Amino acid sequence: MRAGWFAGLAVLAVILDSALAPEIEILGARPDFLVLVVAYAGLVLGARPATIVGFILGLIVDAEQPDYLGLHALSLSVIGFASAAAWEHLVRGSLFVQICVLFGAALAHDIIYYVVYYRNHLDMFARFFVRFGLLGGAYTAAFAVVIYILARINTWRAIAGGTRI
Amino acid sequence: MLAQLTRILRGNRELSTLLICVALSIVCLVLPPAAQQPISSVLSGAILGPVERLTTTFAEYRRVGKENAALRHIAIDLMTERSTLIGYRHENERLRELVGFLVAFPEEELAEMIPARVIGMPGGRVIESMKIDKGRDSLLEPGMPIVVPGGLVGKIASVSHDRSLIEPLTSASSGVSVMTERGRVRGVVKPRFGAASRRVTWEINYVQARSDVREGDLVVTSGLGEVYPPGINVGRVSKTVEGPLTMSIEVELAVDFSTVEQVFVLTGRAGVPAELEGLRERLMTELNDERAALEGRP
Repeated sequence: MRAGWFAGLAVLAVILDSALAPEIEILGARPDFLVLVVAYAGLVLGARPATIVGFILGLIVDAEQPDYLGLHALSLSVIGFASAAAWEHLVRGSLFVQICVLFGAALAHDIIYYVVYYRNHLDMFARFFVRFGLLGGAYTAAFAVVIYILARINTWRAIAGGTRI
Repeated sequence: MLAQLTRILRGNRELSTLLICVALSIVCLVLPPAAQQPISSVLSGAILGPVERLTTTFAEYRRVGKENAALRHIAIDLMTERSTLIGYRHENERLRELVGFLVAFPEEELAEMIPARVIGMPGGRVIESMKIDKGRDSLLEPGMPIVVPGGLVGKIASVSHDRSLIEPLTSASSGVSVMTERGRVRGVVKPRFGAASRRVTWEINYVQARSDVREGDLVVTSGLGEVYPPGINVGRVSKTVEGPLTMSIEVELAVDFSTVEQVFVLTGRAGVPAELEGLRERLMTELNDERAALEGRP
């Protein structure tokens, strides 16, 4: 059941990443839906499944860029593992903690990605990371807050509806 | 060392999974392009292909939606522009007709001709009266004939200081002394209302039987009624009905009264060439302005 749910979520993340993200970019930074799904997998499923989800999802996205096949797989599997580890040691219920973990996950993903991508041009890495990585991480975390609030509103509505009955 | 590492990994399945994934990722990264290409093709075809098709369809749908909205705006703009241009065209045709009329009408017979605009025409099947925007202030008087380039419209029935009421040929009380241009057969053309006034025809009655009248003959004013000058076009013979002593001639009027916008009042006074020249110049200027406006449009 959970595997099916995550497969659907992964497909949705790929679609949103290629269709929605370019439409809502701010100053060149886009929210990273793949990081959101992998970090969520870490929270819900634990380290092992989240790592596998990250690896598979990354490999699928890498297919678009054959010259760097495995780069997304590498960064997302690390993110899956790291975020699951972070959830274990932090207060899961706190929104602030969740936002921090997501921001950190997005930054970690960008660091791994840009370091490998610009391994021979570290000045480019610094420029791109400052230009897109930090803003993208903040955007991803902010997007997660919006999703969180929407989810909470729906939950409250469901609870309120159930109470009335 | 290796045995120790193996023991640690066996004890920590999460870490071993991560290491395996990282190792596989690094293997993928260091693979030669010739080996990377097939893997990427398989993944693209099997998984990314349908997703890309879906996103492309979505993007295409949005693009078509935006394009559709833009095209709707353009269509509305074009329709507005088209209706404006049609208005210009009609006005242009009307002005050309008026210019042609002024050029064609013999000046010595024209006398003074005052242009006026039709500002009132009651609806209904039969047009009983029309109102024009000139009156006593323009020295108009009852009885003055009204013409358009197509022919005779009627005469002025009453005037106020800035308005005049016209009794057109379509009015039940109208009667015009006419003659056929070819056979010079004279009579009075009057409207005749059919059963329950459902059909109106214009007829010349009590014409001597076997007169030289044929269908299609031009009917013009004869000038005998002392209201209309001779030679103004009234219509054409559309039908003749022979009786034992008299014949009845049905006339199709030359003017379509429902479309009359601009008329000329024949005052009967001596013409003022300078004024006529001014009118011609004004019309020509209007025509040229419209042409320039039409040519200036993108």
